[in-house]
Amino acid sequence: MVPHEESAVVADAQGTVFDIGYQRYDGPREGRGRARFAVFKNGVRTALGLGRGVRAKILPWAFIILLAGIAFIMALVAGAALRFGGPEAVEQLPSHSDFYGIASIFFFVFAAVVAPELLCPDRRDGVINLYLVRPLTGADYVLARWGAFLFVSLGVAWLPQFVLLAGLVMGNPDPVAYVRANWLDIPRILLSGAALAAYTTTISMMVAGFTTRRAYASVFMVGLFIVSTPFTTGLAQEIEGLGGQWISMFNLSNIPVHVNDLIFGEVSSVTSVAPARELPAWLLVAWYGLWVLLPGGVLLERYRRLTP
Amino acid sequence: MQSFPRGLTTVEPLVAAESLTKHYRSVVALDGVTFGIFDGITGLLGENGAGKSTAIKIFLGLLQPTSGRAVVLGEDAARSITVRARLGYMPEHDCLPSALSAAELLTHMAEVSGLPPSRARTRAADTLRHAGLFEERYRPIGGYSTGMKQRVKLAQALVHDPRMILLDEPTAGLDPAGREEMLDLVRKTHREFGISILFSSHLMSDVERTCDRIIVLQGGRVVQSGEVSSFTTETETVFVEVDANRDVVMEELRARGVAVRVDGAGLHVEGTEASVYDHVRDAVVSAGAPLRRMAPQRRALAELFDREDDTWEAR
Repeated sequence: MVPHEESAVVADAQGTVFDIGYQRYDGPREGRGRARFAVFKNGVRTALGLGRGVRAKILPWAFIILLAGIAFIMALVAGAALRFGGPEAVEQLPSHSDFYGIASIFFFVFAAVVAPELLCPDRRDGVINLYLVRPLTGADYVLARWGAFLFVSLGVAWLPQFVLLAGLVMGNPDPVAYVRANWLDIPRILLSGAALAAYTTTISMMVAGFTTRRAYASVFMVGLFIVSTPFTTGLAQEIEGLGGQWISMFNLSNIPVHVNDLIFGEVSSVTSVAPARELPAWLLVAWYGLWVLLPGGVLLERYRRLTP
Repeated sequence: MQSFPRGLTTVEPLVAAESLTKHYRSVVALDGVTFGIFDGITGLLGENGAGKSTAIKIFLGLLQPTSGRAVVLGEDAARSITVRARLGYMPEHDCLPSALSAAELLTHMAEVSGLPPSRARTRAADTLRHAGLFEERYRPIGGYSTGMKQRVKLAQALVHDPRMILLDEPTAGLDPAGREEMLDLVRKTHREFGISILFSSHLMSDVERTCDRIIVLQGGRVVQSGEVSSFTTETETVFVEVDANRDVVMEELRARGVAVRVDGAGLHVEGTEASVYDHVRDAVVSAGAPLRRMAPQRRALAELFDREDDTWEAR
């Protein structure tokens, strides 16, 4: 039998079943760009549990709802304070600049729980072997996965801030005047949200790149953030001066919050007690950059060298 | 690219290994091998560690050769990633996600091979139909049998309609029935779909029954290559199989002065001249034995390679 050969089988008096045989594909082949986008799209769906059972959706959506819920409550409290205490009472309440400081721990746990889902199963099940024999390099694969989780993290970081913004605008007797007076909060939210998302994405993906077990990656990541905070805070209080400031720099939870403080031009409630806040702004930004670039480089190099 | 003479013509191979060498520190995986793989089913035969998987990884551009060159579909495998869009690969080891359905996996893999999403979905369904998994395509792969999983592995290598597929031990872990089904599917892939195949295996019987040509590797070197038919020539015996009275047939043949020996359910009769067939006919009639099969015996590949002293050199 040759390809494209057609055969027909008479099924009954009313109809005919045609077996058109194997068909060669002569449509478009969109190469490496399509391959990267396919991995990116699949990563976004995996992170959000789309197209999967209920169990896969519970954790990511629980965190999204929790973070949006915190922002919603902050907006409600601000609205109530404005009504009963006036603008001065609202000034005393935490707002956009404080949000990431308050909620950063939930972002870290979200990243710790969801990011391994994008890398660990592919290596544990051997699916990575099917990716790497296609028009896709290891670097393409991991960049597409990193991009997918960054995309989701940006949404998770920005959504609550915009819920809060919407609450503050609608709670104000003159919404237009509020937007005119506070429009700079929008680029600040976008920028500080992006800084937080890039930081959590890169570190959590790097941790996930070194184990095939999701649970190990999650526990390690949560441990890293939970342990570093009390340890560095306590030690920094004991050792005062420059030494204490540098120890405070190793509080992993605070690293993106310092950048957030610089973007909003005010110290948030979380970093107000951190000695590192007294260090020069350029050093805080460079330190943040190091904590994004170094794990990112390690992750990229690990996947660049990966062969089935 | 090096051309290879085949018969009276010189043709360009689909895959060419040109003085290909690969070292892993002090271990020599491939030692300056040169061979071509042409249209059809080519068996890459050799024991574990012979260099088969290393050769396949170099053809896929996943490993860089220490020296020499691999040319795949006209492109240097070490430099071209895009050539992989026209290749398919079926790994030996587990590579399937248990939570996904075969349809989801194949659709995704078709997209990763560069097909647009709508075409990827159609190709996935078509390919699973040809692989015999159409009815089960929406079930999670984790619930599939080993044979079904092997078919999914083959289907993902075919979903983007490659020019050539590379199969690494495709019958590994299969029971005899599953193995036969897989070999049928491999043959069908070439004969009906028109896709060339490199079939890597250490099982000579699989290669013999499936491939047109073989390349035998040992210790990173090519020790034999050629058409399978040239290795499995006819022997000087006739194989006779009867449904009953086998021992009576044997006595009848011996009474006629014909040398005969028992082999399992059948008899090996010495000689291939016409008179031998006449003696067999007469003996079968005299014994009243129902004749099932009578044919010249062909050599099996396994008979040609002396493996007792761990060598795959031809005897």
